[in-house]
Amino acid sequence: MKRLKHFAYFEPASIKEAVETLTEEDGAFPLAGGTDLLVRMKRGEIHPAALVNLKHIRNLKKIKSESGNGTTIGALASISDIQGSPVIRAKHPLLVQAAGVVGAPSIRNLATLGGNIGRASPASDMSPSLMILQARILTEGPKGKREVGMNEIFAGPGTTTLSKTEFITAFYIPEPSPHTGTAYLKLGRRTGGGDCALVGVATLLTVENDEAGAVGIALSSVGPTPVRALKAEEVLMSGPLDDERLKETARAAAGEINPISDHRCSAAYRREMVKVLTYRALIESLQKARGGLPG
Amino acid sequence: MILEVTVNGERVQKEIEPRITLLEFLRQTLHLKGTKEGCGLGDCGTCIVLVDGKPVNSCLMLAIDAKGRQVTTIEGLSKEGDLDPVQKGFIEKGAVQCGFCTPAMILSAKALLAQNPAAEEEEIKQALSGVLCRCGSYKKIIEAIESVKK
Repeated sequence: MKRLKHFAYFEPASIKEAVETLTEEDGAFPLAGGTDLLVRMKRGEIHPAALVNLKHIRNLKKIKSESGNGTTIGALASISDIQGSPVIRAKHPLLVQAAGVVGAPSIRNLATLGGNIGRASPASDMSPSLMILQARILTEGPKGKREVGMNEIFAGPGTTTLSKTEFITAFYIPEPSPHTGTAYLKLGRRTGGGDCALVGVATLLTVENDEAGAVGIALSSVGPTPVRALKAEEVLMSGPLDDERLKETARAAAGEINPISDHRCSAAYRREMVKVLTYRALIESLQKARGGLPG
Repeated sequence: MILEVTVNGERVQKEIEPRITLLEFLRQTLHLKGTKEGCGLGDCGTCIVLVDGKPVNSCLMLAIDAKGRQVTTIEGLSKEGDLDPVQKGFIEKGAVQCGFCTPAMILSAKALLAQNPAAEEEEIKQALSGVLCRCGSYKKIIEAIESVKK
């Protein structure tokens, strides 16, 4: 049986206590859902001397929306909590769509949003959506509270710009604009999620007088970190939203990324799939923005 | 540490180490061997049990995190020697081959049908997507679940 090596164990009851423990204990790691941390411990990739279990901190799982004032999702909210939240479904159906393709149901019941982002996986299914929804990451550490943008959080594969004693407490997402449509499309080897994304594409389109008022395109599994496709966004903003513009945008997205070839698929295939999925995601977003589809 | 948890309707209290996973606790402390370890890394799903009615990979959950919660394993489904309808469906449809994934398949199906008693085939497939069957008896497993749904 695969067993975990010995570690010191802490169950802080408050954020303050968690920060203190992370600061005082050498080699301490925060534990959220555990679906990634425990795997890496079992594989011997990491050897935490201490685990600081964040699950006993009150309100860290909370999802709340104040009318006209944005939505806050606690870092410990599980991916299933997000998938099943009526608040998120009403305000940000994009996150429901993305949550639905993270791992399998039994993983989604454990895994948390904070963990999905804090892990800084290039293949994170939640990151592209949070990026284009302009989410802000709320953190707390020995120097106090801080807000970090989704475009500033990732330093490289598996690393963030947060310090070791700092952790994510929540995500803040501003109010969505009217006439906005979004989509997250993931290419995996199995349909409906369950495995790691070969390519993930999130798009957001706010339509004003048949032109793009605001746009967002972000991609996963195409570089060392999830990324915004800024050149493609410029193309999308540059004129009327006809079919040729969507196609040109998709080509621009495929052109501005630097994917690698690995055991999952080749760089050329990833590039081609970014083009295909960006186009499809834009069509879906446009239909939703024009009211043809819910969300 | 002291772990107090309800397993298959019975309250248990045991002294455990924090590093013990829920899977180890069930198999080695409580000797409930119906829950299997396949990969031990969250890929295969054979260790799935229900915690507060929801399927989770017990190999990726610390036992201590089950404190105060309701855990259901395959051993908890039969009532006074009478098998659960999903278990009967698996037998009738020949959905058990080697049997290693069966407890996780049945518990995943139970969780789905508790929420959605008339689940469509696509929803059944989604609910089972975290469990691998290396005998390849997926078709009969789905037929078994279809045969007992409302």
